[in-house]
Amino acid sequence: MKFVRVVFTPLEIWLAGPLALLVTTKGDSVQRLAFSVLYALRYTLYALLGAGLIIAGCDGSGPVEEPNEMVLHHVLSTKIKGLDPGNMRDVYSVIVASQIFEPLYQYHFLKRPYELVPLLAEDMPQISDDLLTYTIKIKKGVYFQDDPCFQAGKPRELKAEDFIFSLKRIANIKYLSPNWSIFDNKIVGLDEFRRITKTCKSEADVDYSRQVEGLTTPDDYTLVIKLKKHWPQLGMTLADIATAPVAKEAVDYYGRDIISHPVGTGPFRLNVWRRGSSIELVRNPAFRGELYPSEGEPGDAEAGYLDDAGKPMPFADRVVWTVIEERQPAWLLFLQGKVDATVIPKDSFDEVMGGAGELTPAMKQRNIHLKTFKDPSTYWLGFNMAEPVIGKNKPLRSAISYAIDRAKFIELFFNNRHLVAHGLIPPVMPSYNPEIKEKGYARYDPEKAQELLKEAEKIHGGKLPALKITLPGTNTWYRQYGQFLKRNLNAVGLEVETEYMDRPTYLEKVNNRSVQMFTSGSSARIPDAQDFLEMFYSRYHAPGPNKFNYSNAEFDKLYEKAQVMLDCPEKHRLYRKMELIVLKDCPAAFLNHRVAYVLHHDWYKNYKPHAFAYGLSKYRRINLAKRTAYKKFLKTIK
Amino acid sequence: MTAYIIRRLLYTIPIIFGVLLLTFVLFNLVGGDISVEIAGKGATQETIDEIREEYGLNKPLFFSWDSQFVNHFKNALTFNFGRARDREPVIDKIKRGVGPSLALTVPMFFGIIIISVSLSLVIAFVRGTVWDISTVVICVAGMSIPYLSFILFGQYFLAYKWGLFPIFFSPDLTTAQYVALPVLIGITAGLGRNLRFFRTVMLDEMQNDYVRTAFAKGLTGRRVLFKHVLKNAMIPIITRVVLAIPFLFLGSLLLERFFGIPGLGYLMVEAIGSRDYFVISAMTYISALLFVVFNLITDICYSLVDPRVSLE
Repeated sequence: MKFVRVVFTPLEIWLAGPLALLVTTKGDSVQRLAFSVLYALRYTLYALLGAGLIIAGCDGSGPVEEPNEMVLHHVLSTKIKGLDPGNMRDVYSVIVASQIFEPLYQYHFLKRPYELVPLLAEDMPQISDDLLTYTIKIKKGVYFQDDPCFQAGKPRELKAEDFIFSLKRIANIKYLSPNWSIFDNKIVGLDEFRRITKTCKSEADVDYSRQVEGLTTPDDYTLVIKLKKHWPQLGMTLADIATAPVAKEAVDYYGRDIISHPVGTGPFRLNVWRRGSSIELVRNPAFRGELYPSEGEPGDAEAGYLDDAGKPMPFADRVVWTVIEERQPAWLLFLQGKVDATVIPKDSFDEVMGGAGELTPAMKQRNIHLKTFKDPSTYWLGFNMAEPVIGKNKPLRSAISYAIDRAKFIELFFNNRHLVAHGLIPPVMPSYNPEIKEKGYARYDPEKAQELLKEAEKIHGGKLPALKITLPGTNTWYRQYGQFLKRNLNAVGLEVETEYMDRPTYLEKVNNRSVQMFTSGSSARIPDAQDFLEMFYSRYHAPGPNKFNYSNAEFDKLYEKAQVMLDCPEKHRLYRKMELIVLKDCPAAFLNHRVAYVLHHDWYKNYKPHAFAYGLSKYRRINLAKRTAYKKFLKTIK
Repeated sequence: MTAYIIRRLLYTIPIIFGVLLLTFVLFNLVGGDISVEIAGKGATQETIDEIREEYGLNKPLFFSWDSQFVNHFKNALTFNFGRARDREPVIDKIKRGVGPSLALTVPMFFGIIIISVSLSLVIAFVRGTVWDISTVVICVAGMSIPYLSFILFGQYFLAYKWGLFPIFFSPDLTTAQYVALPVLIGITAGLGRNLRFFRTVMLDEMQNDYVRTAFAKGLTGRRVLFKHVLKNAMIPIITRVVLAIPFLFLGSLLLERFFGIPGLGYLMVEAIGSRDYFVISAMTYISALLFVVFNLITDICYSLVDPRVSLE
């Protein structure tokens, strides 16, 4: 002890060790040398600590927020993959790209039910009497953002040909677009164009000047689309970011790096993308301008959604997304006022929500607002109808459906936030059947399940073998999900095994039809239930969208009839009829529909949830005085 | 020694071949075909086939000059790792991630080594006292607490409640600012295990006869510790320290995720999750190379610090 007390201060204890490490091999003058360079080594230690920083380039500082600058701070819960609208489908890439690129149409920000309105189009499409030709006038005076790919100092105006280029690009098989299935066998000549691209060596070798009969431009501001068959969802498809115009010059200039060099016509342009950590957009000076809507649905004026009616957008100077994949830091940043809006983390639910679906006093004290909205999604336990044990045994499938306690599932996994799926069409869809609950297909009825299992055993010809559920993940959440399903099915006397795997392996097994039961779900792209119903059409068996390999002649007939109908009550009636056919045959046990709970600060204005639109940053406004007041408030509660 | 080094370098050839073979087999024979996922929902077989062609998945696995394995081998040797599934060149991803990962792991590494070696010497010197026992208890407690708990606690109290550090990466922070807390947490969480190890090493040495002899001859504690004990304890220290260096390159998954550090730890795990074979292959290959090189450096260091070791 004397040795320690006399010779070393705490800091020197730190430093003496490595010093000795370095010099003990060098000779007898260890002690003298040790103490003479002790202080020098202190700086060595600091240098070592700084080594990592030097490697990292030392300074990661970005622009500091000016006091009067309106900056939106958002969170992305996963990294975005790219900003090339034709070649992306993940929702986070779509969110960011939708602020930079614009399609022909968009959904009205405020009106419900969701209504299409022109964006780059001058007006809604003129549709020929045979419903096969769409003529769309393009707005004049729309310019792409300035970019080195264009001739310096010469703004590049948007032309109808840019839309055709974007559609041909998706058709180009070498481009490997995940969006092709949307256009497959729909537009005259586009499938032939795709076949020709197959003969090209690479994506860049494709001749985009080759004419496609169904895509023409009588003049620079008119786009004509000729269809092979009726496609009533075309208007909604033209509101999809995948169809946004991309300048050919940009594609030629950046080549495969176009994913990180977006050149669009939208209200914002890319400023900095620190891949994997943050992305920052700034106002696009070349943006033509757009006015905030002056009409909404009843209650919008009272909610303050019309306060900015008629004002030019965008309001924000910058939009910053930070990639935060863990819930705790996102939540803490939100509480610190460094993020404008967030979802409620599962583990903080009780801290946020009091009784009767209201915020707790602590949240109200912070002037935090809660918004909920029904997401157009459905999740299920699917049955592979091509698998002999389960596919040929309807009582067995129904028994499984009755054995699942959906309410408990939602309570355990989603804090009671989701809705029980009584059918496959989510409530937000215009064709949702409000009476579907009364049909009782999602009822939790273990007794009925046990009765049905007796019948199922008769059909099977003896005791049922152990069944297998395949889940597309190996993390804790999927294991708990698997355990939950297993426990429910065990409770009615079924033996069940679960298998967990990575997503590509899962998809391969589902597409090979080698699973028995599988968990999955889907979200609608457009406010039309067609996305859900096509999953049961017999011509789309796996690897197509019908992963259940379900077939029903009556369903097919109705699907083919409804598929070409414009949106009308009769179409909705057919959709509901199809839904009942599916529920009766039970190729899946539908479990839940997602309901999003979003919190936002008081300063974050014009935050009206929207199920189908992504280019919403232009509507958002920050009340800077309120944001500053919150910072002061935080000091008072510390 | 030169002959030894050349011989060891030649040994790396079968090791690297083995690593490449193992990586290839694990991700091509076990597990699913990524082309289905890349193709997207509702893709036709034609699209899936095209993706297979683009990524070379339609070629034979082995036994052909143009097989997938031969190409995998050629690409690795030429450091041509191709493009990841998001179409970004893999080498760009690695270059971008290596800085932030090292900014986190290098200070953590040196912090842990410096503190634990220094303290272990002192603790070994005062063995059996209340200081020694307390330190061991604290070390065991520190080892028993999950790493995640250190992160959650540190982030909540040090950053959120007390405002001493930023909670998360932000573009307006310097690297030093946003790695400070994760480095501190990493050092704290890693200290228990390392301090216990080095204390054991030091104690082993201090129980040797030569230490008693040195004290009997009247040498001071300081001289015995630093001149004799530490020098003889260098072999296990070097083994632990030098072999840990290649893993600095791999970053720290949890710290990177919780503090928004865009490093290689998270890149690797994300690539495994999404079966991004191109990234996994590149990272495994580079890690294997580094490991082999640092193994060799360890052996050379042995001969430098201990005359009993000769590299023949």
